[in-house]
Formats: sequence, C-alpha cells, structure tokens
Amino acid sequence: MIEIKDLVKRYGQIQALDGISFHVRRGEILGFLGPNGAGKSTTMNILTGYISATSGSVSVGGYDIIDSPVEAKKLIGYLPEQPPLYQDMTVNEYLRFICDIKSVPLKERKRQLDEILYIVKIGDMRDRLIKNLSKGYRQRVGLAQALVGNPQVLVLDEPTVGLDPKQIIEIRKLISALRHEHTIILSTHILQEVSAVCSAVVVINRGKLVAQGSVSDFTSAEGTVNKFVICVAGAAGKSDAQKALQSTDGVRRVDFVRMDKDSYIFNVESEKNTDVRRGVFNAVARAGMAILELRPIGRTLEEMFIDIVNKEPVQSEEE
Amino acid sequence: MLTIYKRELASYFRSPVAYCIMGFFMAIVGLMFWVNNIIGRSPQFADTLSSLGVFLTFIVPVITMKLFSDEKKNGTEVLLRTCPVPMWKIVLGKYLSSLTLFTVMTLLTALFPILIVFMADDSSLIGSAQDFGSYIAFILLGASYLAVSLFVSSFTESQSVATVSGIVALVVLYFMQSIGNSLGGTTGAVLKWFAPLARYGDFTVGSFNFASLIFYITFSVLFVFLTYVNLERKRWN
Repeated sequence: MIEIKDLVKRYGQIQALDGISFHVRRGEILGFLGPNGAGKSTTMNILTGYISATSGSVSVGGYDIIDSPVEAKKLIGYLPEQPPLYQDMTVNEYLRFICDIKSVPLKERKRQLDEILYIVKIGDMRDRLIKNLSKGYRQRVGLAQALVGNPQVLVLDEPTVGLDPKQIIEIRKLISALRHEHTIILSTHILQEVSAVCSAVVVINRGKLVAQGSVSDFTSAEGTVNKFVICVAGAAGKSDAQKALQSTDGVRRVDFVRMDKDSYIFNVESEKNTDVRRGVFNAVARAGMAILELRPIGRTLEEMFIDIVNKEPVQSEEE
Repeated sequence: MLTIYKRELASYFRSPVAYCIMGFFMAIVGLMFWVNNIIGRSPQFADTLSSLGVFLTFIVPVITMKLFSDEKKNGTEVLLRTCPVPMWKIVLGKYLSSLTLFTVMTLLTALFPILIVFMADDSSLIGSAQDFGSYIAFILLGASYLAVSLFVSSFTESQSVATVSGIVALVVLYFMQSIGNSLGGTTGAVLKWFAPLARYGDFTVGSFNFASLIFYITFSVLFVFLTYVNLERKRWN
C-alpha cells in the first residue's frame, strides 16, 4: 500500500533522514518508533506530501506523491502532531470545509459526517467553536478530519500526546477499531501503544532505519534465557538462601540484588526452556524460608527499544 | 478553489478585521469627500478617489496579512498542503477572497457620488463617465497592490512582518512613477512602465484603455503566480 524508498532529507547542513526504506501492507497498523528528533515527523511529512524529500520516493496505492500528488493525497488522511484546526470555525463548519477540500460527494456528506462524529464521539461538540475546545477534543476533531473522505491510508503522528489516560485508551480503541478498513501508520514514542495496537514495527534513530519486523518478532526475542526476580524471607541467612537457590536443578546463575528489611532479593537465571519455579519453591521451603515474590522478567518492547537505540551510535562509528 | 475562497471570505467577516478596515476606509473617504467635494465645491468624485490611492499602501497589506500567517499559526498549512487540492487553486482562492473584500469596500464608497447626484443643481457638471472609469481604475490598482502584498506576505510566517514588508513594498511601488521621472533615461522609462499607478490616469479621464486593463490583469496574475512559485519552493527547503 505504501512504498518508501531511500528517503533522504537534508535541512541545510542537517541530515534529517538518511536513506529510509520500508513498506506497509494493506490492512497493517505500523508502529513508527524512534526517540525524539529521530525523523519520525519528517518521514510522515514527506509521506503525506507536506514537504518534499531531498531524494528518494514515496508511493501510496501506486501513486507517486510527487508525480501524481492529487491522486496520492486522496488516499491519505493525515493527523499531524499539531491538529490542523481553524480556531474561528465550529466543529461542524470545519468538518464541512474538510469535506469540500477532499471533494466528498454532497449525497454522502451527511451520512459520513454523522458516522465520523459518532466514531470519535464529538457529536455533542459539533456547534462549538474549535478555539473553545479542550486539548482532547481538539485531538479528536483532528482525527475526525483525517477520517473524512474515508481514505484508505491513515497517517497519525503521535495521536495520543497530551491526552489523559482515559482518553488515551479511548483513542487506542478507536485506532484498533479502524484497522479493518484502513492501513495505518502511527508514530509514537510510547511503547505500550505499539504493543496495544500495532501489528508491525519500524524503528528509526538519527534518520536511519534501525529495526523492522512484526510486534511478536520484537517481544519474543525473550525466552532464550528465563530470568526471574525472587524475594525470600526467613530465619536463615542470605548465603543459605543463595545456596538453596543454586542447588535447584536447572538454575544456571543466582545474583544477589539487595536486602529489603528481613527479606533478600535475587535475580535467578535458568537454563533455556526449563521451568524451575517448582524446584525453587521446594528448595526454599526446605531451607526453612518463604517466597514473598516470584516475578519473571521478559524482554519487553521497552528494553528492546532501548537496546536498539543505544546500539546505533556505536554502529555508525564503526562505519 | 471555491472552497478556499468561501472560507477565507467568511473568515474576514468572522473577525473584526474586515469591519475595521472598512470602517477606517469609509472614514477616510468621508473626510476626503468633505474636503474635496463639499468644501472644494467639486462635483467630481474621481479626484477624491484618486487621492485615496496613497492610503491603499497600508490598507492593502492589512487585508492580506493573515492569509498565510494564520495558516501557520493554526497549523493548518499542513492541511492545505496535504489535501488533494493543487497549490495554485489555494493561492488563487485566497487572492480572490481578498480582492472581493477590497471590491466590496470600494463599492461602498459609491454612496458619495450617488449623494452628489442628489445634491447637484446642475447635473451636467457631474462626470459620471470619469467617476465610473475611476472606480474601474481604483479596483484594478487595488488588485495589483493586493497581488504584490500577497506575494510579499508569502515569504514570512509572521503577521506583523507580512504587514510591514507589504507596506514597504507598496510605498516603493507607489512612488515608482516619480522615481522613474526623476531618474529619467532607460531605467526611468522601465520603472515608469511597470508602475501600476502610472496607468491609473488612463481610466479617470472617462475613456477606457484596453492596453492598461491588460497591464493591470497581467501584473496581478504575475504576482499571484510568483506567490504560488514561492510557496512551492518552500516545500523543498
């Protein structure tokens, strides 16, 4: 649906994008990740035709954004970082204006607007002036704007920034609900968002693509080693507890972390694909101690992300 | 294009800008009318209208100042550039909305010549043809000033910079004929040829100069086109 090839963007001396290529398949929700200033917004601005790339190409639904901008833009609904709203219009006037510029047929207009207002839940705000709306509502009007004309592709630049937790959950639900009819690119630096709604992930850092794959690719890299945190308490001392843990079958390594009141916290690492939790329980019980907490540590998307992003500068120095 | 035009025009009348400009302009016209036509006992409104030309140098930039800077302020520039409407239509829509406001503003002053008709003892003294010609000339002059001012404002994102630089550009343009006269030679002739004000007189004598009409239209189209080029260029920076 979307093909991005060797995108380069220079602002004077600053290299904002350095040869980014990826594609998004129809019906996919792509999480576009990267730290602040990585080039997420720049990529999205190029993708939607707001600015032009120094070199490289973007095609949406087979239309090149430079060669046939009108056709390509018809397929895209864009919610930029700051929702593009005319302060002096009411929600209704504004959305009708959007219908006009996206040339939505008059017959469909009312039905479509009613539907969109229902989806983003701003029906009761339709006669309010946009300048009097709260941030959360403005964000929704911005999203409504992107949905007008029922575009096949939605490009959402940090759609949940500045919203309260309840609104964030609502917007995420909304995005998930849209997945059936749209191809969505969603930029964010909130990682739960990606695990919550996305099917694929692209990570960029300093204008370069550093990782890409499906969400499960990223999170299932764990499992090679089982790690968990254990907290034990009892009359026996620290060394007894450590000995008990170490003696359990399948345990590879035990590290003492810290003491908390009368309990000890350890990091335990086991052999691959071995569940040692029962053994650990018995061993600790035999030593006359009690387990207060046993918590597996998975490799989360967050750790993955930090790994990838931290690794990058080292790589570029090697080049 | 019609959509952009309608939105911009509505936006003028939603804010106090249009009313302020019109009120201010009418006050000036009223004053000039008093001085020229009442105290000066002249039945010719054409003279009054032509003396208003100098005020356009700062009224026109105020009309065009918000056309691009407001888009920047609202963040709606993104919307216009990513919607499936070609840029030239957006620029033209904006220009035509400012031209409409200007024309409405100018036509409101027709109240004064109508007043003269009612007050006149001897209607043969009234130069209706001259008055009519002046109105055409005034609107054409305004159209060319608006285009220049729009072009200047497309360079900046700030409303105040747009206004001030627009005034500077129009003042230069206003005096271009006199500068041309004092310079003389080829440079002077070229400057004079390009000065919109130099052709104003072609209409006020009550005749209709087709070449000048074409000049004004071409001049305006050229600057509207340059505005479009400038905005397209920005996309690549």
